[in-house]
Amino acid sequence: MAPALCAICRTSRALIIRPKNHQKLCKSCFIAIFEAEIHHTITTTSLFSPGDRIAIGASGGKDSTVLASVLKTLNERYNYGLELVLLSIDEGIKGYRDDSLETVKRNAVQYDMPLKIVGYDELYGWTMDQVVEAIGKKGNCTYCGVFRRQALDRGAKMLGINHVVTGHNADDVAETILMNLLRGDLPRLARSTSIVTGDANSEVRRSKPLKYAYEKEIVLYAHHKKLDYFTTECLYSPEAFRGSARSLIKNLERVRPSAILDVVRSGEDMAKLVPEVVSGVSHCKSQKVSLSSADGEDEGAGGCGSVNGRNSGGEMADMEKKLRQDEEASSREVDISASIPLSANSQKHDRIGESKPPQKMGKKLVRQTLGTCKKCGYMSSQDICKACTLLEGLNRNRPKIEIEVDVEDEESSTLRRRMEGIALGAG
Amino acid sequence: MSGKEETVELLRNSLCKRCHEENATHSIRSEQVCHKCFSQYVTTKAVKRMETYRIRGSSAKPPRKLLLPLSFGPSSASLLHILDQHIQGQYDRMNRAAYELFVVHIDLYVDPVDRKDSSELLEKYKIRFPRHTYSSFGLEDALLLDGIEWKSLHIGQPNESDGKPTTERLQHLLGSILSATSRSDIASTLLTRLLVDVAKRNSCEGILFGDSTTRLAEKTLTETAKGRGFSLPWQVSDGDAPYGLGFNYPLRDLLKKEIVIFSSLATHTLAEIIIYQRTSSTVSASSKLTTIDDLMTQYFESVEENYPSIVANVVRTSSKLQPTSILDTTACGLCGLPVAEGTDGINGWGGDQNSDSRPEIKDGHYGVLCYGCSRSING
Ligand SMILES: [Zn+2]
Ligand SMILES: [Zn+2]
Ligand SMILES: [Zn+2]
Ligand SMILES: [Zn+2]
Repeated sequence: MAPALCAICRTSRALIIRPKNHQKLCKSCFIAIFEAEIHHTITTTSLFSPGDRIAIGASGGKDSTVLASVLKTLNERYNYGLELVLLSIDEGIKGYRDDSLETVKRNAVQYDMPLKIVGYDELYGWTMDQVVEAIGKKGNCTYCGVFRRQALDRGAKMLGINHVVTGHNADDVAETILMNLLRGDLPRLARSTSIVTGDANSEVRRSKPLKYAYEKEIVLYAHHKKLDYFTTECLYSPEAFRGSARSLIKNLERVRPSAILDVVRSGEDMAKLVPEVVSGVSHCKSQKVSLSSADGEDEGAGGCGSVNGRNSGGEMADMEKKLRQDEEASSREVDISASIPLSANSQKHDRIGESKPPQKMGKKLVRQTLGTCKKCGYMSSQDICKACTLLEGLNRNRPKIEIEVDVEDEESSTLRRRMEGIALGAG
Repeated sequence: MSGKEETVELLRNSLCKRCHEENATHSIRSEQVCHKCFSQYVTTKAVKRMETYRIRGSSAKPPRKLLLPLSFGPSSASLLHILDQHIQGQYDRMNRAAYELFVVHIDLYVDPVDRKDSSELLEKYKIRFPRHTYSSFGLEDALLLDGIEWKSLHIGQPNESDGKPTTERLQHLLGSILSATSRSDIASTLLTRLLVDVAKRNSCEGILFGDSTTRLAEKTLTETAKGRGFSLPWQVSDGDAPYGLGFNYPLRDLLKKEIVIFSSLATHTLAEIIIYQRTSSTVSASSKLTTIDDLMTQYFESVEENYPSIVANVVRTSSKLQPTSILDTTACGLCGLPVAEGTDGINGWGGDQNSDSRPEIKDGHYGVLCYGCSRSING
């Protein structure tokens, strides 16, 4: 049998079966189409404007490395006119980031891009090692998770950049959609599907140019382009809902390769069906811009270090318990008739009471309003954002020996000073 | 606590937590109850969902006619059993009923042996619940429906038929679809369209589906995974379907396992006329025959075991989605659901990025198909 020819150029030998649709392609056609699709995503969503300074959230992993490589290629090929900067976060866990940060440093040279590594100590006045020392191993996951969520945005602000791109791919987005369905979180479901979070009013916008790219194709691209990336072994298993959604996505892909894309499409369509009271998003406005993920765990796909670890299953068990309590509470309200024998019960209904029992609404349908943190100015649904709240606690308990100056003021003023410095230095 | 008190405590533990009379033999979530109380719990939950069909006022209005699709599975059989009693109760008290049932069985298999078995089984239902009218159809009858773009399925219009029996044409149609998921997706779409058509022809004002909470949760994720997220408001919520009649799910507050237990309670003597499906936990994810529906059934079977409230919460969540306004929509040529302007087909949206990666379109224009139907037909 003659070797199969590439379905696109029909001249070279097909070497790759595209994970997305099982098309048989040659290597160069695969690379070309992979890049063309990301270009398509960028242009149809008007993601960038000429002259934009863009920070690429770089972890040294495959997604962000591919993102950096593709953006550099497209920026040159199509004259986007972008100034691309690599931005990496150092949580300050001894040894943990060494290899990945080395990778990012090499990428900076390979792609000829400036690299900024910001440490938790610089951003928050605390490294994760110091946090662990102060509060013990238990519970530090919360800190790392919350700090991490803001770190890229804060880091970008330090650089005077208002647009961060991350390597979230189609698998991540699909996983987040299923996860939010499983945990009944419509507001996050509505937000997680848009390619850009944050709008013109927010200081830092976030976007995911690889939103429609399959993880498997990202790996293939990295392999065939011989990209230099660091294979991160995640230290922590994902929390139960995400883990559950992740394995569903993997199985779905096996049964029907288009399923990942189809879930993303469903998510986009469903976002339009989420009642406005729930999402806080007006459908009149442009669809692709929605609220920021400021305090959202929807960025959880960040992988290592996001440390949502806990004991697997605990999250589901916790939610089950809470839901049962709610059920019991509401059944006490409405279900008085449940103990009356059935015939008498329905008879009663037949004769009296035309009005239905009031729908149990409102409790879950709280409108989420996003403002900014009074302390740091970061987007937050509370007066004081989670990071600042945690910092306050940390700083209050900071051993006196370590800080000679006024404990209360030290941290917040450094932070403020730094922010001001950034704002000035940004220009 | 003295030894005597302990014994009393133990005894009390094995008594039904609701009536405190019978021995506890079943559990409702975490509550241990006797079979009577369990049965009553299930019945009450279902009847509560029939509130709209209680007797109103004293004027003798003709009963409203509702279609009940009977698959012979535990859910639809239990629903029939419960509603039969409900109607009996209305007669006993008022000498009339607020609604009547039109029970319809649709054969999915064309094999003559299967057909014979199922018509025999339906006879048993008629004897068991004689009050209602019954009818049965074959899925191939869907091929005679108007309002479906048959060309999109690459088969001729019903009237252009080449004289072949419809069963053969159905086999040909489903056999030509290579993916198991697409095949079952199209078959279930045809089933729904046929039910709607039968309901309308027989002037039913609604359809009562036997879906449990668990089934609706499966459906939420299955439809999402098949690119049919847009259709969820019409697939999991009680209310008017875009087909011009109501869809209702009276068993929506019950878990699948609760219904299975209910259906097998000896006092109901239902078990002998129910076909219990093989358990899905044997389904392997790598098999070519595995469908997305199978995956979700398997998944929620395990979630239901330990986290029943999470299952219910999924349904509560997807039921909050609001249907889009039907203005500016066109009915999908296959499933018939409203498709918003410019959102039809699998091409031309953000996730469809390159015409080079599209499979070639086999021939001309098929009219409007929704994303999900288009995916099942085209790839
Ligand atoms: Zn080629
Ligand atoms: Zn803050
Ligand atoms: Zn009892
Ligand atoms: Zn359709």
